[in-house]
Amino acid sequence: MMEVLHGLGTGFAVALSPLNLLLVLAGCFAGTLIGALPGIGPINGVAILLPIAYGLGFPPESALILLAGIYYGAEYGGRISSILLNVPGDAGAVMTTLDGNPMARNGQAGKALSLSAVASFVGGTIAVVLLSLFGPMLARFGVKFQPSDYVALMVFAFACLASLVGSSPLKTLTGALIGLMLATIGVDANTGVQRYSFGIPDLLAGIDFLVIVIGLFGMAELFHLVEQQIRGRLTTVPIDKSFVSWADIARTKWTMLRCSLIGFIIGTLPGTGASVASAVAYGTEKRLAGSTAGTFGTGDIRGLAAPEAANNGSATGAMVPMLTLGIPGSGTTAILLGALLMFNVTPGPLMFEQRPEIAWGLIASMYIGNIALLVLNLPLVGLFARMLTIPQHYLTPLIAILAFIGIYSIVGNPFDLYMIIGLGVFGWILRKLDFSLAPVILGFVLGGLFENNLRRALSISGGDWGILFSTVDSLVLYALAIAVVVIPLWLGRRAARRANAAFDA
Amino acid sequence: MPDRIFAAVLLFLSLIYAFYAFFVIKAPFQYDPLGPEAWPRLLSVIMILCSGALLLRPLVQNFDVDGATWKRLAIVLALLAGYAVLFEPLGFIISTVLFATVTSRLLGAVWKRAALFGLGVGVGGYLLCAGLLDLNLPAGPLPRL
Amino acid sequence: MSRFAPFALAAAAAAAFALPAAAEIDRPECIAPAQPGGGFDLTCRIAQQGLEPFLDRQVQVTFMPGGIGAVAFNMFNTTRTDDPNAIVAFSTGSLLNLITGKYGDWSIDDARWLATAGTDYGAVVVLADSPYKTLDDLMAALKEDPSSITIGAGGSVGSQDWMKAALLLKTIDGDPRKMRYVAFDGGGEAIAGVLGGAIQVYTGDIGEMTSHMDGSLRILGVMADERLAPPFDQFATLKEQGYDAVWPIMRGFYMGKDVSDEDYQAWVDIFEKAHGSEEYRKIQSEKGLLPLDLSGEEFTAAVRAQTQQLHDLAVETGLITE
Repeated sequence: MMEVLHGLGTGFAVALSPLNLLLVLAGCFAGTLIGALPGIGPINGVAILLPIAYGLGFPPESALILLAGIYYGAEYGGRISSILLNVPGDAGAVMTTLDGNPMARNGQAGKALSLSAVASFVGGTIAVVLLSLFGPMLARFGVKFQPSDYVALMVFAFACLASLVGSSPLKTLTGALIGLMLATIGVDANTGVQRYSFGIPDLLAGIDFLVIVIGLFGMAELFHLVEQQIRGRLTTVPIDKSFVSWADIARTKWTMLRCSLIGFIIGTLPGTGASVASAVAYGTEKRLAGSTAGTFGTGDIRGLAAPEAANNGSATGAMVPMLTLGIPGSGTTAILLGALLMFNVTPGPLMFEQRPEIAWGLIASMYIGNIALLVLNLPLVGLFARMLTIPQHYLTPLIAILAFIGIYSIVGNPFDLYMIIGLGVFGWILRKLDFSLAPVILGFVLGGLFENNLRRALSISGGDWGILFSTVDSLVLYALAIAVVVIPLWLGRRAARRANAAFDA
Repeated sequence: MPDRIFAAVLLFLSLIYAFYAFFVIKAPFQYDPLGPEAWPRLLSVIMILCSGALLLRPLVQNFDVDGATWKRLAIVLALLAGYAVLFEPLGFIISTVLFATVTSRLLGAVWKRAALFGLGVGVGGYLLCAGLLDLNLPAGPLPRL
Repeated sequence: MSRFAPFALAAAAAAAFALPAAAEIDRPECIAPAQPGGGFDLTCRIAQQGLEPFLDRQVQVTFMPGGIGAVAFNMFNTTRTDDPNAIVAFSTGSLLNLITGKYGDWSIDDARWLATAGTDYGAVVVLADSPYKTLDDLMAALKEDPSSITIGAGGSVGSQDWMKAALLLKTIDGDPRKMRYVAFDGGGEAIAGVLGGAIQVYTGDIGEMTSHMDGSLRILGVMADERLAPPFDQFATLKEQGYDAVWPIMRGFYMGKDVSDEDYQAWVDIFEKAHGSEEYRKIQSEKGLLPLDLSGEEFTAAVRAQTQQLHDLAVETGLITE
């Protein structure tokens, strides 16, 4: 414990120097802007700005602090376009659209933006406290998590998703299957065999997740807007001055705490990131809401706070295996790892002993970054909310242009532009037919993880299915999965029985 | 009816998907008992059942899009396709100015404002994204920053 | 001020904005055809830092994920065939994918092979407290029953990561199809697999071990011809332990096949300058790569030679029939 406090002392001394403080703020600000662009999330933001950070010639700890600022900033920024435009800024912000966008449409954009900033702050801060206290211990838990445990985690995630069932269970299942099938396109990760790519070079490696998200959400939203406009069904939202109240925070405090924890733990596992964390968090909260779950998806503040706390928690959680073991837990931390190597810092257990100013400086900058982002974001809420007052004839082309920038600047492949247009048409048709898009996206994310880890686990066991139930972690997760499905049913039945009893009496 | 059409298309596609899963995909050898084909096979079977069920019991009865809307959507789709085709050859600035101007005009902006908007987004967007953020955007015939 | 001054200014401005000269590298970009953090990332970082003194602008690293690099290779054969600014990182594994048809119908003639970044070698890695104290222990156990040990690496069957495991088995006349192999998504996950006990042996690269030389992992052997320079000189080669498995992973760069001779030569010149500098050597070794300086014609010949060798290996292990 003393060790941690001493380390934090060293860290804050580094992070609070004027230059580093300025860099945290600059990074957070740039990151928020980048994150708000649809398609460009933390991973691409950090990758794009890494050479700049390197080129500026700062000492390693300062450059890393700048990059870390961009990382959290982008994680915060991703929610903005989710809420305002129904277009997720990045992978972790998909679930944020579910309740965030309806709130904005109900004239509560300011409240949605400010509440999500608070939730992000809570998620990020709880996670960084846990990181400083239990980092090394959690890292060991993370690597002990084997392919068979990932299978159990995916089963749990699917069970949480059952709560997303919208108007029709059949359509939800069909939607998830579409996502699962899209995920099978491209090279098979185990045997290297091609599946469903039909020799098209751009499909050999599969469809990029961002292409799916931008296509199905962003471009579909564009077609939806055009359709609504021509039929005069677009109601202009009044400039709203709504803001988060203490009552809202009090109402969502347990949601935020639970989801921060869920996000952090899932974030520490190598290979699963913000998208899985926010999906599990949302599903869990909806399940726990019991009889009041009906408002989820229509602008429930708990449905907004849950994924936002979780995705920021997981962003920090992903730092755990990178800092303590030198294993990147996500794409973004892989780039940060590359940055460490660029500065000739070897991450891993030795870093805390050999270069404490870097390890602890980075951690201290996370505390500061979270506070900076909250302070930075709250006053800007009004400004962002005004985006909704942009007239339709400008907003529609703007969505397309932002989507094109986001998709093209990542890979530079014009094929992806055709893909997002095609997926946009498809997504619009799905929406017209009352399909919810979230199951499609989550099927896409979880499908690949499920299949690969299942087959990995079976390769390890030589074909023995018993391996799936061989660890405590996996058994706990299966139990939770069953609980998540059964408890709400039981609660519902009990509530119904009580209502009947009351009626009879 | 729209649900029926959609389900029929989906059923057709999943039959093709199933054909590949059952008869085409195969690894020369593999270390896991499932191989690359088992998971797609499972998915295809469930999908055939789901789309079959939807075909028999459609839920959405009315697609609710009239002729004028179809026309407008088709034009927007054509504009997007044109934007994608011209994005690299003309570069970001020119293609974006064209796309933004024409689209905003189509959606109801007056010509002058549409053109100003197009110029602002095209040039401003490039300066911001390629200049400040160093994103990779095509320059086309114009010189790079 | 003469009344022609505005015209002169306009002309100067026009000249400044005119198209850059053909052989000018004005926006150098290195494409790492994978997720960040892996070998291609490091390869590009070498270009980024090592070429810095010789270029006006720093090389920007972009990622073009697609597990095995097919997307990048195809892009440079379809849309960006003459891009004078972009170099693409590749490794021996990419050549293997090329000859086994994973990249489509392209051959090594469909790219201009530019220069090396350096070389890396395969390594056989186990957990520090693994029961296999020496390579001999491991090989004896493998010989007895190849399926008794789970070997994992960061690539699918047929990838160069898998090849290392297959070669290991070949040295004791084992059948690579009988081993128990687990394909992870990249080296990072595979290392997590070893640390967590999911797999017992990791056939990785020695270069990525720099982050893990803290005593948690044990390197049983390096798949090089002879002992490497420090800090890797402490690890015996497989060869000196009596197992004839040598697996160099050449890392370098290629360009599109329609890049003009001028642009190509401009890059070759830059690499030749860099290869001769002390600073470059330092960066190379920091990234865990060992010296191997080839560029231009000489490099193209080396690529050809290794491709032939890989082709023979692929036929031998039954990956391709021919």
